[in-house]
Amino acid sequence: MNISIAAEPLFHIFSFPVTNTLVVTLCISLIIIIASYILKNKVSLVPKGFQNIVESVLEALLNLADSVTQDRKQSKKFFPLVATIFIFVILTNWVEVVPGLGTIGIREELHGKEVLIPFIRSGAADLNFTLALALVSVISAQVLGIAAIGVGKYAKKFFVSPFHKPYFVGTFVGILELISEVAKLISFSFRLFGNIFAGEVLLTVMLFLVPYFIPLPFLFLELFVGFVQALVFSMLTLVFLKMAATEATH
Amino acid sequence: MSELLTKLGIDWKLLIAQIVNFLVLLFILWKFAYGPVLAMLEKRQKKIEKGLADADEAHKKLAESEEKQKQILRKAREDAKGIVENARLQAEKSKAEIAVEAKAQAEKIISGARIEIETEKAKSIAEIKSEIGGLVVAATEKIIGEKMDERKDKELVEKSLK
Repeated sequence: MNISIAAEPLFHIFSFPVTNTLVVTLCISLIIIIASYILKNKVSLVPKGFQNIVESVLEALLNLADSVTQDRKQSKKFFPLVATIFIFVILTNWVEVVPGLGTIGIREELHGKEVLIPFIRSGAADLNFTLALALVSVISAQVLGIAAIGVGKYAKKFFVSPFHKPYFVGTFVGILELISEVAKLISFSFRLFGNIFAGEVLLTVMLFLVPYFIPLPFLFLELFVGFVQALVFSMLTLVFLKMAATEATH
Repeated sequence: MSELLTKLGIDWKLLIAQIVNFLVLLFILWKFAYGPVLAMLEKRQKKIEKGLADADEAHKKLAESEEKQKQILRKAREDAKGIVENARLQAEKSKAEIAVEAKAQAEKIISGARIEIETEKAKSIAEIKSEIGGLVVAATEKIIGEKMDERKDKELVEKSLK
């Protein structure tokens, strides 16, 4: 049993490491793209089958977004990013429960030891994935703020001159704001990574200790955790977007 | 710092790959899934709202037409009542008129008949008188058996007239 914080590269294309998480996320993306393409051609006024599922999920998300923004127009503006994060994260999280996680793979010689490199590793168990999403989320909130009030005014939020009214307090608050943006990135990426990576390790360990039945409750737990983490990630993104939009108007 | 990042498995190449991957997914979902599905949801919502509004409208119209129907029926009933009443009055009136006329007619006929009877009677009496006169003369002639002369006749007349 080998537990590695970093995703293991399966092979290299030139110097580009193709890790197992990258393969998994690409597969998930491909599945989502194919599904949405099928949906696009079949979407009709009277829903049936697959369209029903997609509609109920999207409608629930839209209503949730409405409850945060209190404004349908704004919800619709934020919706694509939030919904994509939710769908992408929940599906990659649920890869955890796919049989073969952490067990099927290729054996490789590493640092003089033979280790198993599994084919399947859930996307969020790789900081590159979570950091990428966090970057997209935080940057889009910044872009929204800048688009609303312009670069100059937006920059004033972080860089306050120490020679004006609140003096050094204002400057200090500005620096804190700047740090909080970085903290958002870290909290976003490490929350998701920590939860999913821990889940994966837990499942792998349980499978090694007791192969039958005992891992079942943990599988359900991981399904739940995957859902909650996806929801948390997308809702926080929504809240930050909403905050950026409201701050801009004040 | 860079050692920490390597330990955590953060690789800028992979990071960029994941960001690009996510943005492509976002774009495709935006184009293929959210657009059509949300548009469809909105369309359906509008359609349902319209259907409900239409149903309400139809209900209202139905109630209205029912009310109208009732009103028409009521009016027709009243009209019919009036017509019947009118006809009854008319009939009564004409009945009285006919009776009066008939009475007048009858009186007229009766009085006509009376006059005729009177004249007839007078005529008959006159006729009878003249006939009786003749007969008396003839009978008297036969009884007497002879032609009366002027003198005797006169005598007899005077005698009978006494």
